[in-house]
Amino acid sequence: MRRLLRGALSQGVRLFGTALAVALAVTLVSGTFILTDTIDAAFHQASADTGGSSDVVIRSTALFAAQANSLPEREPVPQSLVEKIAAIPGVKEAWAAIQGYAELVDKQGQAIAAKGLPTVGSGTTPDVTLTAGRAPTGPDEVAIDIETARRAGLVLGDKIKVLFSGSTQEFTIGGFLQAAGDVVASTKAVFDSVTAQRMLGVEGQVDAIPVRAESGISPNELRTRINAVLPDQYEAVTTAQVERESAESWTKAVAFLPTALLLFAAVALLVGAFIICNTFSILVAQRARELALLRSLGASRAQLTASVLCEAVAVGFVGSLVGVVAGFGAARGLLALFDRMGFELPSTSAVFLPRTAAIGVLAGVAVTVVAALAPARRCTRVAPVGALRGADGGRTTSTQGRLVLGAVAGVAGLATLLTGVLSGGNRPLVAVGLGAVGILVSIAVLTPLAATPASRVLGAPLVRVFGESAFLGRENAMRSPRRTASTAAALMIGIGLVGVVAILAASVKASAGRTVDESLRADFVLTPAGLGGAVSGVPPVVVDRLRETPGVATVSEIRGGQWGLDGRTQTLLAVDPTTVTAMHAVDADSAAAVRRLDDKGVLVRDTVAERYGWRIGDSVPMTFARTGTKKMVLQGTFSTTAVRTDFVITLGAHKANYAQIFALEVDVALAAGVRLADGRVAIEQALADYPVVKIMDHGEVLAAQDEQVDRLLVPVTALLALSVIIALLGIANTLALSIHERTREVGLLRALGMARRQLRSMIRSEAVIIAALGAAMGIAVALFFGWALVASMRHLGVTELVFPIAQLGGLAVLAAGAGMVAGILPARKAASLEVLKAISSDR
Amino acid sequence: MAMLLSANATQTDTQTQTGFPRLVSTAPAARAINAVKLYGTAETSVRALDGVDVDFASGCFTAIMGPSGSGKSTLLHCLAGLDTLSSGAISIGDTILGTLRERQLTRLRRDRIGFIFQAFNLLPTLTAAENITLPLALAGRKPDQAWFDTVVEVVGLRDRLNHRPAELSGGQQQRVAAARALVCRPEIILADEPTGNLDSKAGGELLAFMRRAVDGFGQTIVMVTHDPVAASYADRIVFLADGKVVDEMFEPTVERAIDHMKQLGG
Repeated sequence: MRRLLRGALSQGVRLFGTALAVALAVTLVSGTFILTDTIDAAFHQASADTGGSSDVVIRSTALFAAQANSLPEREPVPQSLVEKIAAIPGVKEAWAAIQGYAELVDKQGQAIAAKGLPTVGSGTTPDVTLTAGRAPTGPDEVAIDIETARRAGLVLGDKIKVLFSGSTQEFTIGGFLQAAGDVVASTKAVFDSVTAQRMLGVEGQVDAIPVRAESGISPNELRTRINAVLPDQYEAVTTAQVERESAESWTKAVAFLPTALLLFAAVALLVGAFIICNTFSILVAQRARELALLRSLGASRAQLTASVLCEAVAVGFVGSLVGVVAGFGAARGLLALFDRMGFELPSTSAVFLPRTAAIGVLAGVAVTVVAALAPARRCTRVAPVGALRGADGGRTTSTQGRLVLGAVAGVAGLATLLTGVLSGGNRPLVAVGLGAVGILVSIAVLTPLAATPASRVLGAPLVRVFGESAFLGRENAMRSPRRTASTAAALMIGIGLVGVVAILAASVKASAGRTVDESLRADFVLTPAGLGGAVSGVPPVVVDRLRETPGVATVSEIRGGQWGLDGRTQTLLAVDPTTVTAMHAVDADSAAAVRRLDDKGVLVRDTVAERYGWRIGDSVPMTFARTGTKKMVLQGTFSTTAVRTDFVITLGAHKANYAQIFALEVDVALAAGVRLADGRVAIEQALADYPVVKIMDHGEVLAAQDEQVDRLLVPVTALLALSVIIALLGIANTLALSIHERTREVGLLRALGMARRQLRSMIRSEAVIIAALGAAMGIAVALFFGWALVASMRHLGVTELVFPIAQLGGLAVLAAGAGMVAGILPARKAASLEVLKAISSDR
Repeated sequence: MAMLLSANATQTDTQTQTGFPRLVSTAPAARAINAVKLYGTAETSVRALDGVDVDFASGCFTAIMGPSGSGKSTLLHCLAGLDTLSSGAISIGDTILGTLRERQLTRLRRDRIGFIFQAFNLLPTLTAAENITLPLALAGRKPDQAWFDTVVEVVGLRDRLNHRPAELSGGQQQRVAAARALVCRPEIILADEPTGNLDSKAGGELLAFMRRAVDGFGQTIVMVTHDPVAASYADRIVFLADGKVVDEMFEPTVERAIDHMKQLGG
């Protein structure tokens, strides 16, 4: 066995490309885990600070579970409870915790907070630690966090304007707070308790009551003691639990990340598998003679297969180890990528768990071994004598078998996919996905049959421009269609996915644009600037100001909220039924339903009502955090996809059931005859104090939508680019192996007078042709799957199908160009061969 | 050694430029002057060529014979510019190979030298016709159709032009290589054991063709061989032993060649 392995190890250099492909794919796997673990640790670390010095926290009980990515909404707790709690034996100290929206504004009137993260105002507590100045006292004093002060260049004694949900006021900075590693807030302002309650509009109420225990009493014991005397609607929990809940909610909010990233890693591994399979096929074919000799000397088939597989394990292991280490860099890169996407993820020093290494190495080795399995088995199928005579490495699947298999997979895939697209059933995407897999298998099986004619056509322009060297390169691409095909197929996957994403993005943009064009009747749409955190939104004062602005005819506010249905969280929108249809044109039935809606009623999406078996006039039990379960009357249904939720109530009903007073969106219609530009100036003047509100006309709404799509498009494309890079690596690898195989030919060509430049051009031409083949297949696949995907997303509001031709064309050209780059190294290697040695080599 | 080389080169140059009277009636198509080729490091070095002085007359079919290790292949490789001398000089026509850069050597091989190797002469991806015109295509030139037809006719490949090497017999493959060597009308054809892998019939056909190329078209051919029958087709045999020219023979016959080789112990 050792002797068999020595033959394998001597090919170490040739396996370098394979190991690199494994390493790149595993880098993404390892990077994903490192990133996730790091974020997790950062959340826990940050949440650990939020509880301060308290041991137990009293809060109202949640009436329904929160949505996956947030904490449940809770009613406030009356201020009077603080005194009562403080009197419970074992309580050393109890205080009021008040938090709310408080935006700090700099001297130019711009909001100081960055990235749209929430800006928190709160009352002072025993936990407030100052780095300078004193704790805020009286109605005019504030303490702000030192980070924000540094950023805005503020010093003690400066005046600063603070925006609250209901009002604006100027305060004197009396102290600086220590900057805590808080992940939730980007700015902090602390007032004395009374001022905080007044400014935040929660007089007589507090969010929660943190409690410190007498020494000798454990938090658990204190919690039990307090719970025994608390009324039912309140609960006492340990601070540790609050911190855990907070960390968990943040972790859940980014739980999609590892899944999504691992999906990209899986694609990269798949592309890597193509290359590994290809490399081993070539290596085994080149060693057919050696393997046959071993066979005739008495090595069993199993031994030979095992020797090839051992080689695969070794390559997979080395590549994976490199990948696992490189994952550290990848985690950094991913963090930067998501930063671009608008997620600001917290980070600490990279967290590396043994599990990361285990999974990375396991995935890398498994993929390598599985990909090498077929070549390993094929190599032993050749009869010892045949290989010694120089026959090639075993019989491959026959043309006929290929045709049959390809046709069956293709037809089955196509049928499944079309069923998904045409039926429009509940799960069209699943059918489309399954169908796509079938079609891809079919393509992979059939490509070798088409590779030769396709290379001839794709290479034609090259031959015309570059003459004989390109002609020879094309001949080389056509001589082993199987090799060319599988190398190109690896690229096809990456290019195809990038293409599908581009088509999907263009279609989503067009569909959203069409919805805006068709339904948006408002002259301006006002939304919170930035991404909008949990507390921010358009404050009510803005709505009031707009109503008084000259030239403005109608102002319509849309609020949002969460509520519970059978313990599950749902979302709703609250609208003004008298004005909203003037701002958003929807179909006649939906519009009529909205106009009939009153404060006792709810509108439900038709499909949802059907699912629950509700009819008009039925009562819908809606549980609100603040007011408990209300029986709302189902007053109508709607079908329009322009509404992004399944439930709609009136603003009146919203005000009765929610403490939250911010609008998600405020629509403005100008009076007849007022020019848009004039209207805008008037609105901007009226809202000069409110930099946190963004004013958008139709064009800007469209641009904002496009920007949202692009924000996703960039990182997704970047992640898929890794697969494309691995595929290009595969081209370089295949060419290097081919050149090794054709050393004598290279020698002959050079002897006959081929210049080095021509030789390089020949090899680069072959690379370009393989890349062009992969790109062409990828684009074709993208067009088809793009159509299927968009067609099956009609129910999600993707109604337009757009092929971004220029982008796809650019992608193809870029891929072919990158193919040329991939050919550079093999070309150099070939050009550096010594003619005499090459021509007298045994290859 | 470098001094010697450059002195030699200068001398040869001057000779050509001043029209220095030559010893042979026809100008040599190629010549080796005191050619020395060392392989390996100083202590273990092997003198593959040990001061070879030889002219190859234009329009003449010369065979180089010698026992294995005599340096005949090395000499051919040096003549082709595929290998470099340790000292001495090689010229093809008026051109001294030692002064040429890599790129110029490549062009020299492409435009002025034709090759026939013992085996693996053809690119497997190209048809016979494409293989024949390969050097011309590399030069970006079109073949002279009349000359191409003549050559193809002479080697008898008319009906095989669209076949790939795998579909041709060994003899046919070598004839394709010969046609390729001839089609660009090189100053000299260098053949390295061209019949080494052929049976006697196919070998005879190839040699007859090479003979015809010399007699009919005035082609210059230098052929390395160890086969006295093959050598008997040549006008002249140069015998090499231990890296030195030890003898030569004009208008050889098979018997004389065999006798001579026996003397050399080959």
